[in-house]
Amino acid sequence: MSTSLKIYAFIKIFKSLFKYRRFRIGLAIITIIAILSIASLFSPPQYKRWYAYPKDRPPQLTSIDMILGTTTNGRPVFWIMVNALANSLYIGLLTALIGSHAGLLVGLLAGLSRGKTESAFILLIDSFIVMPGLPILIVLALALKQSMTILTIPLILSIIAWAWPARNVRSITLSVISKDFITIASFSGIKFFNILLHEVMPYVLGWHLTNFINTIIWAIGMETALAVFGLSILSEDTLGTMIYWVLNYNALFRGMWWWLLPPIILLISIFVGFYLISVSVSSYLNPRLRGGGQQ
Amino acid sequence: MHPFVKHLVNRTMVMVITLFIAFNISYLLIRAIPTSAVDAMLGAIAQLGQRLDPEEYMRMRQVLLELFGLSGSPLDQYLTYLKRFFTLDFGFSFIVFPRPAREIVLRYLPWSVGLLLFTTVISWTLGNIIGVIVSFVKNRYISGALENIAIVLYPIPYYVFSLALIYIFAYLIPIFSLSPATMPAISIASLWDLINVVFHILKTASAPALSIIVISALGWWFISSRTLSLATMTEDYVIYARLRGIDIGRIRGRYVLRSIMVPQVTALALALGAVFSGALVTEYIFAYPGLGSLLYQAIIIGDYPIALTILSLSMIGVTLATWFLDTVVYYLIDPRIRFAK
Repeated sequence: MSTSLKIYAFIKIFKSLFKYRRFRIGLAIITIIAILSIASLFSPPQYKRWYAYPKDRPPQLTSIDMILGTTTNGRPVFWIMVNALANSLYIGLLTALIGSHAGLLVGLLAGLSRGKTESAFILLIDSFIVMPGLPILIVLALALKQSMTILTIPLILSIIAWAWPARNVRSITLSVISKDFITIASFSGIKFFNILLHEVMPYVLGWHLTNFINTIIWAIGMETALAVFGLSILSEDTLGTMIYWVLNYNALFRGMWWWLLPPIILLISIFVGFYLISVSVSSYLNPRLRGGGQQ
Repeated sequence: MHPFVKHLVNRTMVMVITLFIAFNISYLLIRAIPTSAVDAMLGAIAQLGQRLDPEEYMRMRQVLLELFGLSGSPLDQYLTYLKRFFTLDFGFSFIVFPRPAREIVLRYLPWSVGLLLFTTVISWTLGNIIGVIVSFVKNRYISGALENIAIVLYPIPYYVFSLALIYIFAYLIPIFSLSPATMPAISIASLWDLINVVFHILKTASAPALSIIVISALGWWFISSRTLSLATMTEDYVIYARLRGIDIGRIRGRYVLRSIMVPQVTALALALGAVFSGALVTEYIFAYPGLGSLLYQAIIIGDYPIALTILSLSMIGVTLATWFLDTVVYYLIDPRIRFAK
């Protein structure tokens, strides 16, 4: 297939996805969030310093620095917020890139292997699924505290993130492989690798796409959970560390809503936005729910 | 051998090996934490004003290390803990020193298991009933509204929701208290004591319970039962049943509900198996005295006995749940799985 055809196919898929109201709403939310996180490029250099601004100020419309007020350590909430958004999105995307693809690979290998290799894969996947995720992440975060940066957090999250997708990919692969058309294809002399690429992958990839989006949601949520315990990178701004400082300075009971509400509202909109996209993608991929005219 | 017995034996072996691997991984990870609880303890003793000779200090350190199974080569230590894993008795705890870890865990256990069993069962039942009913409701506004609420609630982790809940119900409309819950000495000598205990439990548990139930009933369980029943309703056998003119109530109960029960019971069993790790973040935010917050304390301090007890318990819970599903439940509820004699 030539490149222009591929682009054409992509535009066509996007157009049919765009018919879903949920997809449009989700895309709108994520677009706003992306624009806000791009705004982090314009943040003034002094926003990172403590007490560079007057502290505990409620929102004022005088300048963009003060539009969401300031925190108890004298930093403007607006600039913290946009930087936190960018970092959280980065953590989510990188974890999804590493974790869900590792899951895809292991799941495919497990689904295609037989005998002793298959049992070894199943045991490995199952033992990671059995371990409670968050406690293990806390242990990992404590043990690796010295080397924790915005780059290594996604790696740590990926250690947990690959197991569920691997299990699901394996079961999808197994159910596809037992179908008649695979047997026919292999009897017709098509090479194993081509069968995998053209017959099995389309089924797995659809699921993989929704899982990719869900892993973004999961990773941002997990980073927040780690941060609530003070185990994320506190020197960087993420939505999680924002909540950590809110809790740490008791902003909740001092009525500083302008500090507390932005991270909570943004977290919820990120989750809802990505989820709406993933729901519409998965219902687009399920032909039974897709509605007529597009078989 | 009967095929079912063969399957049972196989499945049990897989369960034991999985548990063994999972225990090894978590043991390795736990031992990678750099904090040493023994040294912290000796520091605390030194701070009490006791003068210790260096020799005596070292001897004491040795005794403590032996007591916690931390003396000898790494292999010896590993074997000690492996032995303890099989008896589920990890010896003395560091946090509450002369008490065994098992006793401390058992004291926190009812709080977590009670909370999570209650919330899981309630929200599972609610979510499934609402989900199936909504799929058959003709009024598009009601089902649409419910679905939109659920779609917003579904992806939110319940600890983020509990933060919002705290803001609303402890600050804006102060209903819940947020003072750290103490564990009362539960004595039920008189009726008054009993009422007091019940009131105390309600006061401590209602806020975390609410934050879990709202999210998981209206979000998770509702969405999964609704998607499953929508998908089932387009299945050929349901359409055929409709064309045959079978009563809609019968289709709902015998055709749709019965077949979505398989994945829903699976998820319920997995959720029930997970109650032993507690609801970590929610317990921490609400200062709730459960296994999750105990595990967090244990990990932070480096209390291997307590941490490993809770981790092992929760791993055993999850593996037992999947084992139970694979061996017993599926043969009861899934008509497609039958063993030929």
